[in-house]
Amino acid sequence: MGCASSAPERSAGQIGGVNLDNGGANDPKNLKVKLVLLGDSGVGKSCIVLRFVRGQFDPTSKVTIGASFLSQTIALQDSTTVKFEIWDTAGQERYAALAPLYYRGAAVSIIVYDITSPESFHKAQYWVKELQKHGSPDIVMALVGNKADLNEKREVPTQDGIDYAEKNGMYFIETSAKTADNINQLFEEIAKRLPRPAPPS
Amino acid sequence: MPSDSNSTSSNYSSGRDDENPNSDPNSKPEPQLEPEPEPEPEPEPNKNPHLIDQSLDALENQLASISMSSRSPTVTFEGEEEDDVESREQPKSMNGSFSEEIEAGGDADSLEVGRHFESDSKAESSGVNGENISFTWLDAPEVDEVERPLSPGSSGYAGEMGSTSGGDEIVDDDEDDSDIRGVENDGVLGSNNQSVSGKRHADEDDASVSWRKRKKHFFILSHSGKPIYSRYGDEYKLAGFSATLQAIISFVENGGDRVNLVRAGKHQVVFLVKGPIYLVCISCTEEPYESLKGQLELLYGQMILILTKSVNRCFEKNPKFDMTSLLGGTDAVFSSLIHSLSWNPATFLHAYSCLPLAYATRQAAASILQDVAGSGVLFALLMCKHKVISLVSAQKASLHPDDILLLSNFIMSSESFRTSESFSPICLPRYNPMAFLYAYVHYFDIDTYVVLLTTSSDAFYHLKDCRIRIEIVLSNSNVLSEVQRSLVDGGMRIEDLLVEPTSRAGAVSSHLGQPRPGAGTPGRTADGSIGIGGPAGLWHFVYRSIYLDQYVSSEFSPPINSLRQQKRLYRAYQRLYASMHEKAIGPHKTQFRRDENYVLLCWVTQDFELFAAFDPLADKALAIKVCNRVCQWVKDVENEIFLLGASPFSW
Repeated sequence: MGCASSAPERSAGQIGGVNLDNGGANDPKNLKVKLVLLGDSGVGKSCIVLRFVRGQFDPTSKVTIGASFLSQTIALQDSTTVKFEIWDTAGQERYAALAPLYYRGAAVSIIVYDITSPESFHKAQYWVKELQKHGSPDIVMALVGNKADLNEKREVPTQDGIDYAEKNGMYFIETSAKTADNINQLFEEIAKRLPRPAPPS
Repeated sequence: MPSDSNSTSSNYSSGRDDENPNSDPNSKPEPQLEPEPEPEPEPEPNKNPHLIDQSLDALENQLASISMSSRSPTVTFEGEEEDDVESREQPKSMNGSFSEEIEAGGDADSLEVGRHFESDSKAESSGVNGENISFTWLDAPEVDEVERPLSPGSSGYAGEMGSTSGGDEIVDDDEDDSDIRGVENDGVLGSNNQSVSGKRHADEDDASVSWRKRKKHFFILSHSGKPIYSRYGDEYKLAGFSATLQAIISFVENGGDRVNLVRAGKHQVVFLVKGPIYLVCISCTEEPYESLKGQLELLYGQMILILTKSVNRCFEKNPKFDMTSLLGGTDAVFSSLIHSLSWNPATFLHAYSCLPLAYATRQAAASILQDVAGSGVLFALLMCKHKVISLVSAQKASLHPDDILLLSNFIMSSESFRTSESFSPICLPRYNPMAFLYAYVHYFDIDTYVVLLTTSSDAFYHLKDCRIRIEIVLSNSNVLSEVQRSLVDGGMRIEDLLVEPTSRAGAVSSHLGQPRPGAGTPGRTADGSIGIGGPAGLWHFVYRSIYLDQYVSSEFSPPINSLRQQKRLYRAYQRLYASMHEKAIGPHKTQFRRDENYVLLCWVTQDFELFAAFDPLADKALAIKVCNRVCQWVKDVENEIFLLGASPFSW
């Protein structure tokens, strides 16, 4: 729509923002990271977030407008805590041009597709490329095949997801926000992969 | 609007002496104010003698080919559409409801230009109004007036129809809703509280009998004829119908003219062209043309709010651009707006309404909003449902009431805003249709939310901080609990209006939101059939302050207590408003109108507009007196019902 600000350029300038946002640069035990969810509409981004943050699942689909902001803190076994500041973006086409607004400065991105929809897998690949071009260079990316509970309707083989993720250096997992399957694992795994700031000398 | 010619410029006081005790609703009133209006129904426009048939015939011929080629030609009238459940006049039997079938055929026929059905006995004649380019398609006038409940086969449904007096016999979703929802003591018709689902009846298309029977269709399409939005039915399936509408518009445009309105029997087809976007309403609700056109403007505004006007550029690049996907997920926004066109007076008054609150409470909210507005926030609104608690704007920025309406509709109909705080691009069409603003939205409780608008796309964390500050102040000063109390207590009640000519001040209960003994209106019957309302048969009023761009409406009380009655009153106000503001012969100052449903009184001054509804047997002089009392009452409590002093409008 041409209405987005010149975000991609700015994102380059804001790479430092990852660390700024981290706030944990000073405190390696308490990380704070900006996380963005991207993916086609209806793949279940909001459901994943709500399952993770509130432990809820609402089967009635609520279309996200713009982006919702939620946060959740998890504790890792090595006694560090990670506070995720989560941008749950709208999947609608009209917001695609505005995505940089939300992924700018993100340390983590979760790219979601629906295992019953090849189209959404295709869209996920679009987002991967977009982030490789315009996201933070050290961004941690995860590829998530959601709706794993609908295995009988599966149209995207697990192996396709694994292969694509491997090729692009991403973490891959299949989840079900409905059954809560792998949701916590997803975020824990991401937390483990975060670059740790060097401890203050 | 020929039936509204009974307006004069006389003041109310001048008519006081001529009280006419005759309370027969059909009788002539006293001669002084104005002649009695024509009782509804309004005269059919097809009596219009200036008709030019040949150009319409040509148009019809052209369109016939389009419409015929674009869909399967088999249409049956046997009532076999199983999704006809909403139709209360559903032709239950396969053989007994001839009158209905005629009517269905007529409707369909008038919806579909140039198409004839086997069972349609009407000779279709057509005409153009010669002076302005308003088209008129004529059906044989009287056939259309056949009342549906006459059908012997649908006797099981006839009882439900008995209560309607208007032409409300065609499927109307809003009325169906009214049977489900209860009366909200909200000062407005119904409420937006119910979750407005997304698209309804998406399985329909223009070949469905149920689709044809819908009372009011809205369409948005592109100038190449591609469907963008349809209130009912699947857009893609309506591509042929959409092309037909486009052909009508472009045919007239090719002649160097513009089509505004087509009448076809009871149906009006209203067109609005906005650059590459065409909007069409097909309605048999008997609403005035100006009202329907205003509704299309709002629909367009809602679209601009979501996309900005820069969407036009997509059409410059590719005239056949398919816009449907850009509006993905917004069906609920449009359904909710269309629904509000039949209950929210803001949609035709172009004014907003405030939640009644003590002056100090509203001030507390205003001052913290003012605080944050100084820090890069363009507009800050604190809203409760569709009502404003307080709003402020940065210097020199002004917020149009229509933008408030569209913004609050957008937020309330999008469930995701309730889930968590959001940051979303939004365009205010009256502020700047070309650019996005960024809206931070947060719900404090189920009804109350704050919207902070900024031009900066980076401002989320700042706005979040602003919201936290606002939240602290609101909870420290109990604003949120006062808001909840106001919701329960409601606003102005006509029962509380006392007419005591001896004492002006103190004659009314001037405190809103206080529990009053007897406010529960004991003795009123639940069905409202014999409710007495306020003094002199006052049933309801709407008062619009012109300077403030705000309005207040009284709570509904018996006998206006069913949503059906509320909607009928809403439509009556809407007609009244349109007739008062008619460009050709208006604006008028007063109007007194008596029909079988109400006495309606309208009074327009430089400062305000008052619309009041009375018992149809109400005495005219008394009614005028009561109107004066209402105005005084509003004045007395304006601190609580209006947002004063913080007017966001630049004068």
